[in-house]
Formats: sequence, C-alpha cells, structure tokens
Amino acid sequence: MDCTNKLQVIVGDATIGMRGDGFSYIFSGERAGMESLVQNGKEWLYRAPKPTFWRALTDNDRGCGFALKSGMWIGADCYIKCVGIMVSIDDQPVAVPLAPANNVYGGAVEADRASVTFVYETLTVPETQVTVSYEVYAGGDIHVCVHYAGKEGLPELPVFGMRFIMPTCADRYRYEGLSGETYPDRMAGGVPGVYEIEGLPVTPYLVPQDCNVHMQTKWVEVYRSTTLNNSDKEVKESAIRVRAEDDSDIAFACIPYTSMELENATHQEELPLPRRTVLTVLGAVRGVGGINSWGADVEAPYHISAEKDIDYGFWIDGVKNC
Amino acid sequence: MQPDIKWLDDPQVFRVGQLPAHSDHKIYGSEEELEQKESSLCQSLNGVWQFAYSVNPQARPEDFYKTDYNAEGFGEIKVPCHIEMAGYDKIHYINTLYPWEGKVYRRPAYALGADRTESGSFSEADYNPVGSYRKVFDLEEGLRGKRVCIRFEGAEQAVYVWLNGQFVGYAEDSFTPSEFDLTPYIKDENNLLAVEVYKNSTAAYLEDQDFFRFSGIYRDVVLYAKPKLHVEDVWAKPCLTEDLRTGNLDVQLQISSEDAEAEGRVRVILKDQDGQVIEEQNAAAASEVKVAFEPVREVVLWENKNPYLYKLIVLLEDKQGNVTEVASCDIGFRHIEIKDKVILFNGRRLIINGVNRHEWSAEGGRCITMQDMEWDIECFKRNNINAVRTCHYPDQIAWYDLCDRNGIYMMSETNLESHGSWQKFFPEPSWNVPGSVPEWKEVVIDRARTNFETFKNHPSILFWSLGNESYVGDNIEAMQAFFKEKDSSRLVHYEGVIYDRTYEDTVSEVESRMYATPDEIVEYLENEPKKPFILCEYMHDMGNSIGGMKSYIDLLDRFEMYQGGFIWDYIDQAVYAQDKATGNKVLCYGGDFDDRPSNYEFSGNGIVFADRTEKPAIQEVRYYYGLHE
Repeated sequence: MDCTNKLQVIVGDATIGMRGDGFSYIFSGERAGMESLVQNGKEWLYRAPKPTFWRALTDNDRGCGFALKSGMWIGADCYIKCVGIMVSIDDQPVAVPLAPANNVYGGAVEADRASVTFVYETLTVPETQVTVSYEVYAGGDIHVCVHYAGKEGLPELPVFGMRFIMPTCADRYRYEGLSGETYPDRMAGGVPGVYEIEGLPVTPYLVPQDCNVHMQTKWVEVYRSTTLNNSDKEVKESAIRVRAEDDSDIAFACIPYTSMELENATHQEELPLPRRTVLTVLGAVRGVGGINSWGADVEAPYHISAEKDIDYGFWIDGVKNC
Repeated sequence: MQPDIKWLDDPQVFRVGQLPAHSDHKIYGSEEELEQKESSLCQSLNGVWQFAYSVNPQARPEDFYKTDYNAEGFGEIKVPCHIEMAGYDKIHYINTLYPWEGKVYRRPAYALGADRTESGSFSEADYNPVGSYRKVFDLEEGLRGKRVCIRFEGAEQAVYVWLNGQFVGYAEDSFTPSEFDLTPYIKDENNLLAVEVYKNSTAAYLEDQDFFRFSGIYRDVVLYAKPKLHVEDVWAKPCLTEDLRTGNLDVQLQISSEDAEAEGRVRVILKDQDGQVIEEQNAAAASEVKVAFEPVREVVLWENKNPYLYKLIVLLEDKQGNVTEVASCDIGFRHIEIKDKVILFNGRRLIINGVNRHEWSAEGGRCITMQDMEWDIECFKRNNINAVRTCHYPDQIAWYDLCDRNGIYMMSETNLESHGSWQKFFPEPSWNVPGSVPEWKEVVIDRARTNFETFKNHPSILFWSLGNESYVGDNIEAMQAFFKEKDSSRLVHYEGVIYDRTYEDTVSEVESRMYATPDEIVEYLENEPKKPFILCEYMHDMGNSIGGMKSYIDLLDRFEMYQGGFIWDYIDQAVYAQDKATGNKVLCYGGDFDDRPSNYEFSGNGIVFADRTEKPAIQEVRYYYGLHE
C-alpha cells in the first residue's frame, strides 16, 4: 500500500472505520465504543472499551466500610448506557445516524484526522455523564480524551479510568514510570525507570484485591504473540503502546482480570484461568491507606470525589511505519 | 511428686519440678568444641516420636507414661511440629475472642471473686485436646555419667513430663524454654520419655495472641549434660562511662556442682570480636562467682550499623586443672536511657524503624527453621528495618543471637496477651486477667522472669515489653517492678496503660500506642507530654496497604520525642493446604478449615507474603526507613 499520509475514513451504516498504513480501527454505535483496533494485522480489542468506576476492594476499603458508602459504583462499572455519539472528519461534523446520510460518500473519505465521541450516562443515583472521544490521525495515533462530569450527591469513587480488554494474554509489558506497584499514597519508594514485567502478574494478596497499579507513567507497551484469529498462523510478538500526553503522566494496571473477577474471588486459586489482558488507563486513583484495617479511611488527599470533574487524556500510538 | 490434672484449672500452678529460668549461654565440653560450635554435652531429641491424640482429658491414655504400657495403638508425629499441622486437630485462626467463644461458657478462675475457682474448667472439658508423646532414647556418649536435663524450647500450652515411668514436672508458658532435671531416673540406654501436652489450661487466658491456635511440641527438644561443674547462669553487665568511650564489665556466674562442695577453678575470659583475649579473670569455683574486668578503653560500641560483639568465655576446671565445661555468650557495649524525655541510644536519639514479627512459615506455622530466620534478617537489612518487636511472645533463642549479630534493636515481649478478657466486641474489662486478681499475679511475674533470665545477656534487647493488649492492673504493674528491679540498663514498654492512666507512673517508661493517627500523636506531643512516644504497632499492612506512611515519618522531624514505631507486621500468617478442586498447594487463612468463629484473612498483614516473598509495599518501607537512621 502506498503511503498516502492520509487517513481513510469509511462511513459505514452502523460503524465508522478508519484505516491507514498498517492499522484499521472501527468505532461502533451498536457496541457504544471502539470495537476494533488492528495494528499490523493484529486485533487488540476483545470488547469495546468502557469507563471503569470500580476497583476490587482492598482490605482497607473493606475495613472502613467503603463499599457501604460507594457500592453503587459497582453497577456503574458493570453496565453503562450510551446516550450520544458524535463523529467528525477534519473537524466537520458527520450526521449520526450514519445511514442513509452516508449514501453521499462514493468511497472512503480521505482526511487528516477524524474523531468519534461517545457520551455515556452512569447507572447511579443521581446519574452523571462520561464523555470519551477518540481522535485518530493519519499515522494511526489515537488521542483519547476522557471527561467525567462531577455531580453533587454522588459517593466517592474507588477509581476512574478506561478499561481495554485485549483478546489474549500478553507475554509481557514494558513501561517508563515507577518501580513496583504504586498508589498515590504509596509511591515515594518507587524508583523512576524503564521496567519490563514478564507475563501478567497479579499480586498474590491472600484475598484477591485491586493490585498492580503503576503511578506516574510516561508510556506502557503491551506485548502479545497470540491472537484469536484462526487463520493467523504467525507467532510473532507485537506491541501496542499507550503514552501520556506531553508534560503529563498516566496511571495504569495491566493484569488478566477485571475488577469484578478479582472482587468475586476469596483466594488466588479461585481466579479464572488467565485468558485476556485487561489494561486499565486511569485518570484517578484512590490511595490504599494503612492507618488500620478496621475503620480508618485512606487519608483525605487520596480520596476521589465524584462531585468534581475529572479530565484526562492519553495517546494510543499508531504504527509509525510511514 | 504426683501429677494433678487439676493444675490445668488453677492459675496459681504453672511450674512444678521445673528448673529455674537461666541465661541462654551455650555450653561445650572443651574449647575445641566451642571452636567447632559442636557440643558433646547436648543431644537433640528432635525426630519421629510415638503419638496419640485425644479430644479431651477423659479420653487420653492415662497410663501411657508407664514403662510397661502397650503403645501399639499409638501413631507417630514429628517433633517439632504443631499437632494441628500434623493433621490430628483442626487448624483454627481467631483474633481477639477466646477460641472457645460460642462453644463453652468460661470465666477465668478467681476473676469474678475468690470463691470462683472454676474447677474442671479445662480438666473436665469436652474439648481440650491432649497429645500423648513417647520417645525412647539412648544417651549419647558425652552425656553419660553426668547430670542430665531436658529442655523443651517451646511446647504449647500445658505440659506434664515423665521419664522411665517417674513424674518429672509440669510447665506452662508455651514460648519460653521449660527445663527439667532427669538425673534421678536417667539410664544410659532405653529411656522412655513421656510427655502429655494439653491444648488449653488457665494459660489460655494469657496466650490469646491474634494468631492460629496451635498446640504440641513445636520447638526443639534438647538433652544437655552438666559436667561436675556447670555454669547455670551468666549475667554479664556491660556498661559504659558517660563519654561512651570506656566499657565496664561485671559478670555474675552461678555454678552448680555435682558434689556438695564446688572444687575447681573458674576462668572468665573476655575476647574482642576477632577472638583476641582482652583480659582473663580467675576465681575459685563457688555457687556464686562475681568478677569485674578492668575498664575496656576505646571500647567499640554495639549498634545497628556496626554490631560489634565481644565474647565472654567461661572455662570451668576441676581440681586437676582439666577443662570440664566451656560456656560462652556474646555481649555488646551500648547504652540506652531517657534524657529530657527523649530515648537516647549510645548518646544519640533513638529512631525505631521497626516491624512486629510473629514467628511464621506457611509450611510449619510457628515451627520455623534457621533458614527462615536468616532470610528474615537479610530482609530486614535490605529494607532498612532496624528494630523488631517479638510480638507477642519470646521467639526461638537463635533469633536473639541473629539480632545481636546483625544489630537489630529488639523489644523483647513477654508471653502475655489477654485481649479476649476485656477487648471482646468492645472494651469491657469486667473479668479481665491478669488485671489486679491476686491469684493471677505470680504467673505473669514468672513469665516476665523467664523472659528476663533467659535473654538478659543479649545486647539487641533495648526494651522489655510486658506483653500486649492485656489491659492494665496491679499485676502488670508488678511485672514492670520486677524488670526494673532486675535490670536498670533497659527500658520497659507496655501499651495498655493508656486504658487506665492511674498506672501511668508505674507502667511503661514510654508512651506507646497502637494505630494512633498522625493527628492523635501530634495531640499528645503538643500537650505537655510525659514520656517519649513510640508506636508499638502502626501501618496495618493487611493486603494492599502501607499508604500514607509519610505522615508518620514526617513526625520524626517535627518532634524529638516521637521516636518511630513498629509496622504491623512482618509476615502474613497463612497456611499451605491442598486445594480441594485442583489438588494444588495453596495458601489458606482463617475459616478455610471449617474453623469458627474466625477472623478470616485478618491474619495476613505482613510486608512479606506467607511464602516469604516481599509484598510490593516493601519498597515504600525501604524508602521511608532509609530516611532516618
């Protein structure tokens, strides 16, 4: 394929496709999110990424009754309603629903960039909205911007971020950030550097709980050599890279489980066989606390208010072969 | 002397026929043996023993100790090993409440009145498992023809001992050595040792530690021989001049003799760490020998970064000048005091970067190996941990030696925790023991005495601790008086005095709290504080924790009188068991053995996992404990 330096936008009947050298992405109204993220022929998404509002309770969360105050976020984490989708190509709005308006296109539309924005409404009382926009550039770079609208009356959040579930287990991941598992109130001991983690380790706390968060990260690369594509005979490791915006950083966790899978287990051996990779890119992280485990909450600066807006963004890098 | 099963019910009976507690110095048959660290005077009885389990005293094989008893029905058990970990009784974890909660109505004898003897409380219980142990042994060559004693380094929780059909004695206090003189009944060959171990007695009220509830012989069993002359006790008292540059050493020895009159010579030698003799003092053998060494100039202080140990060696010679016994112990010169309400160590403010440490291994429970202990010391060192509290009982002797050699500041805690008698679901001390109940006084003083007498020579011990979470009363006050009378060179610690400050001036020389918030600490320190402040427990590392440590560490720079604390705790308590679904070896916690009531995963608060891998949070500990030495 020739290097055109242009993004090919396919305005489908139910999806928006975006293609370029070495990548093809599909955003779906039906799936209320990004349904496909293919780079170098490999699919990176198992299900459309959604905002996440829950972490598997830590022992301290349990001890201080956090779930009794904030338990409603479990529902929001499991189920979310999409209430709006906006599409634009080179900043020009595209009519949604796409059909029949898309009959005007005689083929793929060439563009410098295109974006899709999903507006979600939470299953909380009162409800609030989360807006996630994906802006895709010609080289395949995706700028993801996430906005949580604070709402008075909502209980504190255990976490806020975007959860990307990949089809198979990663072999390893690399990141530039702090050593070890860190949280906002436990990261002074983290040593900055580039770290490579073999496999997808889950910290083996006696009772499975939130783990493996990495604060102050510049970028993370996830490496996989397996796919679910039955015709893909090639065993070749490929990577996807998520990076922070300039002069900023992200927090992330990369483990084989969702928060609900961790939450449901009382012992490590009850966790399902690892099958997928769950990369959570976090915009707000609650501390873990430590004064005691039977009532003392996390220190105040490390709570996440749900009454205030949360805004953050990050990049999913393109394939860089142009 | 006849054994009486009613001793189980009486808090006033806790040692019968037991030898007095004494220093844990090592003994050898010769100087060569000392070099090799192989003593011909000691014989291990560890190994496979005959064993019968009974669910209660009524069901036990009462005559099992007799030499003509037919023990064909007995099974086997490894010594040391907990009876529960060997599969004979249920593994049970519970924190505060007594393990019989909801199953038996019990009150401690005398706690609700002098007439409340609660007779039969343990001796007639439906559930009070008994382990009947038998071991046949021959004496090794080096022990023959000499006085022979036996030491149980840890047996939980009430123990009756027979040798060759003769009753020898009874012991409680599960976490300190119990010794008996076997000399009257010992033979060279084919001795029958019989030990009856009861899971519960009145000692249960005092050993309510937040841990898995075990019983049995879970530490080493050792025979040792006393040659004609034997060093029973060493009390080495190293002290320093005010400028900390000169060391003075007084040594007090107790020597026993096989004959009525001790005849012979005692040579007391002080060596430096490299083995160079500094001075030798000689005296005629006597039941009490006191020697004072010349002042040691330019003495090297013992401290965390340079744990310099001097060696004290005692040679006992008979009339002919033959060395019959060599005793040794390590000593260190260091000084701890409170000056202007600040704890000073070797003249500088002491900072405690500590952890609480239970003895634990996922394989053996509280039956741990030398390798486990050495791993722990290395873990301390690489993570800047400089202090340990032996929560909430004395540890294996080897641990004290390791702390001496590695400069770990120790709070040596007495085996006492009775929170089930007052903490309950909410604090309610209506039947607290030991409290001020007269019948419970001697037993707790005895525990203090054993802690002191056994470990008194260890330079690592900076604090004696009266126990944990046992409320406060006259008996705890008496424990402190005991320690202070015996040993002016160390500080006494106890937390529970905060529940009744009328004891404030006579219990605990430090203000000790557990889990105080940073604000509460500030509040104490800004309001005419009486004592230096330490946290005997803080940063409860249950699961994914250790958040907010900065708020505590910052206080070290704000308040001279805030002197650090001991993280709760060092290692997760969890047990390996087979997963019913997969057959894999997995880590289990309270409630995983059908054990009720339980506190479930509350046993897992370590900075290392139960399999001795480090938790991620340990890097935070390493960082903050590296800031203040």
